[in-house]
Amino acid sequence: MESFITELLTLLFAALRSATPVLAVVLGEAMTQRSGVINLGVEGQMLLGAMTGFAVASITGDPWLGVLAACGAGVALSMVHAILVLGCGANQIASGVAVLILGGGLSAYYGIPFVGDRIDTLGNLNHTFVSDIPLLGQFLGPITPTVLITLLAIPAISIFLFRTRLGLRWRSTGESQDITRNLGHNPVPYQLGAIAFGGLMSGFAGAALAVDYTANWVEGMTAGRGLVAVGLVIVARWNPWYALPAALLFGASEALNLKLQSWGLPISPYLLATLPYLIPLTVLMLSYRGLRASGGGMPAGLRVVFQSAR
Amino acid sequence: MTSTTYPAVRSGRRLLGGPAGAVLVMAAAFVVAAMAFFAINGRESVSLFQEMVMGAFGDTYSFSETLVKTAPILLTALAVALPARLGLISVGGEGQLYLGALFGTGAVLAAVDQPGWLLMPLMLAGAMAGGALWGVIPGLLKTRLGVNETISTLLLNYVGILLVSFVVHGPWKNPNSLGWPATIEFPESAILPQFFDTRVHMGLVFGVVAAIILHILVTRSRWGLGLQVSRSNPRVGATAGISYERNVLIVMAVGGLLAGLAGIAEASVIQNRLQDGLASGYGMTGFLVAWLAGQHFLRIIPLSVLMGGLLASADSLQLYAQLPKASADILQALLFIIVLAVASLWGRRREA
Repeated sequence: MESFITELLTLLFAALRSATPVLAVVLGEAMTQRSGVINLGVEGQMLLGAMTGFAVASITGDPWLGVLAACGAGVALSMVHAILVLGCGANQIASGVAVLILGGGLSAYYGIPFVGDRIDTLGNLNHTFVSDIPLLGQFLGPITPTVLITLLAIPAISIFLFRTRLGLRWRSTGESQDITRNLGHNPVPYQLGAIAFGGLMSGFAGAALAVDYTANWVEGMTAGRGLVAVGLVIVARWNPWYALPAALLFGASEALNLKLQSWGLPISPYLLATLPYLIPLTVLMLSYRGLRASGGGMPAGLRVVFQSAR
Repeated sequence: MTSTTYPAVRSGRRLLGGPAGAVLVMAAAFVVAAMAFFAINGRESVSLFQEMVMGAFGDTYSFSETLVKTAPILLTALAVALPARLGLISVGGEGQLYLGALFGTGAVLAAVDQPGWLLMPLMLAGAMAGGALWGVIPGLLKTRLGVNETISTLLLNYVGILLVSFVVHGPWKNPNSLGWPATIEFPESAILPQFFDTRVHMGLVFGVVAAIILHILVTRSRWGLGLQVSRSNPRVGATAGISYERNVLIVMAVGGLLAGLAGIAEASVIQNRLQDGLASGYGMTGFLVAWLAGQHFLRIIPLSVLMGGLLASADSLQLYAQLPKASADILQALLFIIVLAVASLWGRRREA
């Protein structure tokens, strides 16, 4: 029994670690969508963040500089989406796919010299007071800084969005740009900020993956995590608190995939690798049933985006 | 000074303000962007750009390679443009292509002893069924549960690619391939016909014919008119006896079927077997082309040739100028960004 609980807790904390990059993207994209803009480019921003973060960490030897650079790269690439969508009035889905491909291409192109490099990691909570906590210490010890930062972002975003005047306007922009405009506020700065914040979080997510979680750079290493995150935003009902269980779903399916492989089950690792896509998709299916009935908190301004293919 | 405008200037301005002007600006901006990209990376930009154009359209061989790449782009672009007629944004061409290759190869492996006249149709039918399946699933999720098709198609792409990896690393792996994950080579009778001693194959013909048929169906038939009604207002459509749900399934299935054909053509003609990395990126390129063409079936044909040229030239640049393969993705994205920006700005001006 005790070993079962240990096993379960190990799995849960493994899930938390592998969920962190996805969680960061879900939080950022939820904020972006709250302003009425959807950005599928987060996948490309995440890749560019991962490559930039890893490259800077490798060149300077300082992984924290890598994390900062990754955030910058995410924001920079997200500005392409901002210019296309806010500046030119282009379709948001198409613009997002453009950013996705650009980010994938740029990261693959400029990442070549860094393949196989070794970098210093950000460390973890082992050998701190946390790992000395009885019973839980062994699980808390391997937690890394990006996990903590991402978890702290949840209450921060929640307070901003629901407890500040700025957050109220941010949300009202997503509900109706016309009303926001009639109230005398220009929606564009809010949407610009929302896209930039999404860029920041996806760049950070890239660093969480390449600099922290795997300490490695491989072309296309995000493998759809950013796109899974866009789907999970719906599961999370655009709420930062629900983002955690939604992202844990991905983390758990990935941890489960690795766990089942390590048990040597006679199932192909390629089939098991479909779990991190199929499980979120399944939950998305269940989630949509509720969404249809209640509206589920989808920002009203987003409906228009979801329903137009030019 | 400003008040005198000559007729020629005025008509010139009208021309530049119209679609022709937009295309001109797009082309100029892309040439500048591509050269800037080369220059930033310390390359001789003018000569590299020349080489790029030659690598796509310079001689018969280059042009044939361009057409080889055109086929899957054309078919996957149609797989995007048809659902778009109903207002659906499908990004599932990649996964549908892989499923087509998977099911088509399955048919070949199952019927490998059959005579050629039977094997080829079985292979094509399998490919179409596989692609259609990967289109119908997001279609059903959309109609039954309301799941957004953009997200479900994107996720299913990864699943499709992994399913192919599963069979080529596992049950379908050729035991004599020295550990290389691939199926056995396709028998001669399961290789699609090619033209004039090049690698240009039947897939291109399928694509062109499909584009023309779809264009006629959508613009001239009752069904096509129904799609338009259904798109602008499903409820009005329903009162006229047009089922939005059924049309969603039809366009997704037919789109998937076409992408599936692209997949089996790649496996059969280009690779001669099913293996990993079958056709990375064609689905996304198809998505771009469909948008560049404004979801217009006939415009998709020349644009696919152009984009095929871009990919073919990237291949030759990789060979002769050691430019990494990813430069093709970057150039594609730059082109797409420019076209989106210019088209949106021009569209806005016309409204104003």
